[in-house]
Amino acid sequence: MSLPSGIFQESYGQDMAILRTKQQWIWLLIFLAVLFTMPLYSSDKIMTLATMMGISVISVLGLNILTGYCGQISLGHAGFMAVGGYVSAMLTANLGWPFWAALPCAGLAAGLVGILFGLPSLKIKGFYLIMATVAAQFIVIWLILQFRGFTGGTDGLAVPRPELFGYVIKTKGAYFLLVMIIACLATFFAKNLVRTRVGRAFIAIRDNDLAAEVMGVNLLSYKLLAFFIGCVYAGVAGSLLVHYFAFADINMFPFGDSVWYLAMLIVGGMGSTTGAIFGVITLKLLDEAMILAGPALAAAFPAIAAQAAASLSLIMRGLVIVIFLIFEPRGLVHRWELIKAYFKRWPFSV
Amino acid sequence: MKKFKPFLTVSLTLLLALILVLTSCNGESTTVTATVTTSSTSTTTTASPVTLYIGGTFALTGAYAEDCAAVLAGFQDYAKYVNDNHIIAPWYTDKTIPSNITFEVLWGDDQLAPDKALTIYDDLKSQGMLVERITGSPEGLALKDRLNEDRIGATSQSTSPSYLSPPQTIFTNAPIYTDQMAAAAEWFLEQWIAAGHTEKPRVAYLTADSSLGRGIDIPEMQAYLEELGYEFVGSQFVPMVPTTPPTTQLLWLKDNNVNLTLGCMINPGSQPTIKEAVRLGMGPDLEYEITFVFANPSHLQVFVPAMGELGNGVVVTGDFVALDADVPGVDFANMLQDEYRPDNKISHVMYLDGIIEAMTQIEALRLAMLQKPADQLTALDVLEYGFYQIEDFNVGNITISNLTYGPGDVEGVDMVRIQQVQDGVIVEVGSYPLRHIYKHE
Repeated sequence: MSLPSGIFQESYGQDMAILRTKQQWIWLLIFLAVLFTMPLYSSDKIMTLATMMGISVISVLGLNILTGYCGQISLGHAGFMAVGGYVSAMLTANLGWPFWAALPCAGLAAGLVGILFGLPSLKIKGFYLIMATVAAQFIVIWLILQFRGFTGGTDGLAVPRPELFGYVIKTKGAYFLLVMIIACLATFFAKNLVRTRVGRAFIAIRDNDLAAEVMGVNLLSYKLLAFFIGCVYAGVAGSLLVHYFAFADINMFPFGDSVWYLAMLIVGGMGSTTGAIFGVITLKLLDEAMILAGPALAAAFPAIAAQAAASLSLIMRGLVIVIFLIFEPRGLVHRWELIKAYFKRWPFSV
Repeated sequence: MKKFKPFLTVSLTLLLALILVLTSCNGESTTVTATVTTSSTSTTTTASPVTLYIGGTFALTGAYAEDCAAVLAGFQDYAKYVNDNHIIAPWYTDKTIPSNITFEVLWGDDQLAPDKALTIYDDLKSQGMLVERITGSPEGLALKDRLNEDRIGATSQSTSPSYLSPPQTIFTNAPIYTDQMAAAAEWFLEQWIAAGHTEKPRVAYLTADSSLGRGIDIPEMQAYLEELGYEFVGSQFVPMVPTTPPTTQLLWLKDNNVNLTLGCMINPGSQPTIKEAVRLGMGPDLEYEITFVFANPSHLQVFVPAMGELGNGVVVTGDFVALDADVPGVDFANMLQDEYRPDNKISHVMYLDGIIEAMTQIEALRLAMLQKPADQLTALDVLEYGFYQIEDFNVGNITISNLTYGPGDVEGVDMVRIQQVQDGVIVEVGSYPLRHIYKHE
């Protein structure tokens, strides 16, 4: 990363820091202050939307580690979220465990299931691996339905809300803070992971797995590690989701969500932590805008049936992905980098 | 920078702690009140105009799209009727609405997704909506506890058994799926015995692979069937909207000598299933004798025009009257369409559901308004003074019985209507009482 004129790094630590200027720290502080004060001035709807975004960010960050950095495309991410969600739900609802103990177990369980479905990744890749991960989605949901005694089957499972020192995290604002704290930690971990030996191995596998192997990267262990870490993220997101609804149900983890998580990566920019966040925010906001636009369009143009107006959302989402694939395949994060570069050189930028 | 980092860390920690404290002090319950359209310049003694909202979430994209579009049209036309006439139905001229009250339909497309239903619900609630509606089981499962916490009454076009575990604030106008299946089993057993069979009939589930379809696959249902005298064979699941004919599932029924199938499917699932069954020679009057029963939300009113005599023998339970039935509710629906959409008439039977749900929501609001001024109403008032007080409510004889709700009583009707396709027309073949198969705490 280039630095403003006149700023020099004097140590390796400074050179490796994520935030390297005072200005960057100030911006981060402002961002966090705005983020964490949102419950004070935001409506219930904004809180719900932001909480859902936070949960999606955690999940998509996991998918970014797996797909964006390690190149192992997964279309079963919602299935791995279901593993985490249901493990957390069963531990808290059936066994009376506290949320704080169930949350890491949810991540761990999803990670282990991820390893199981990641095993074929040494032999298969590309479209074949996609099919294997799609199978994961359906197998997980099928198993949840079969073990009705534990999971509630189609009836779902009522889940207690998290507690912290006796205080039930029940309000939307409090739950938002919980999700955002975990999302920030998840972002921090993801950002740092890719700068480690493990992260570099992931990238080497993504760019050319044969070359990576020749360089001494153990493909199986690193691919499984990527599955494990990516799915731990998914498990944590699943746990947060079911505790938010206070209910676990298979419909919260549809196959379509696995596809949309991948779409979020494409729109945001694969292989970038910031891109994953951009992707989630963009597609979620687009969704909301379309939901609001449906009734408005139907009211403004009575000749358009409400059903047709509502379908706009699906059409728009598809359209956005196609547009990004054609015009901005590196995602929003690339555009963001260009904007930053423009202003860095301003007024001399062209 | 080294000096700056500790300062930043401490400030952030303090900020977080402060926010946590402030948020926890933030009230836990949200009280939703009606929206008052202020008229500060008014010099007359008439009450201020008040807008009350009805509607809720509709799955206008996805498997339920056609059903929900018809329901929404029913809501919109009914709201116009009440605003124009200030009564809730032609047969209820005594149930009047004050002239200062206007009803407006608010809606959002939840795409059958729980998270979208939740944001739409929050949005509608923030706009002052005191009632809600639920499209299908996925949204119902996700919202039922939240609705109960917020004490908001909701109508629903779905009748998931889970709405009874425990009964909360989602009110249905059709019997719960398991009760519909129990009624069908009783009806079929009578036919079976009357036909002179002495062996036990063999029954299986042929149902949608979704919350809707799998909702009947519970131990209590199987126990009830066996108690009646059935031999339970197993279950076969068909995608909600099949992309290929369910040949394997149907052949499994044949191989296992099944006489009766029970299931919950929507029309996009039940119609291709029956087409394939007929191709395989399976039906009440075909070479392999079998009767297919589907619960509402399959609708013969949609099925028959599309399938004609191909669907002979198919049974649907728990549905509304046929669209050509001579009942006040159907006449009313026709009148609404003539009045408000003469060039764009809806032929889907769920238009009737829209009218019933809107009528129920407005009746709940009307009853609550008898206790408190409209501009002071809260969702809790509408639930307690409204929904819970609805008793023997006639929706124009569209439903099999009048609707009655109360705390713990969310299943509005007390009978199950059974309709069958005979010679390409819908014939009502009986009605049976609810057996309350789904046991709740």
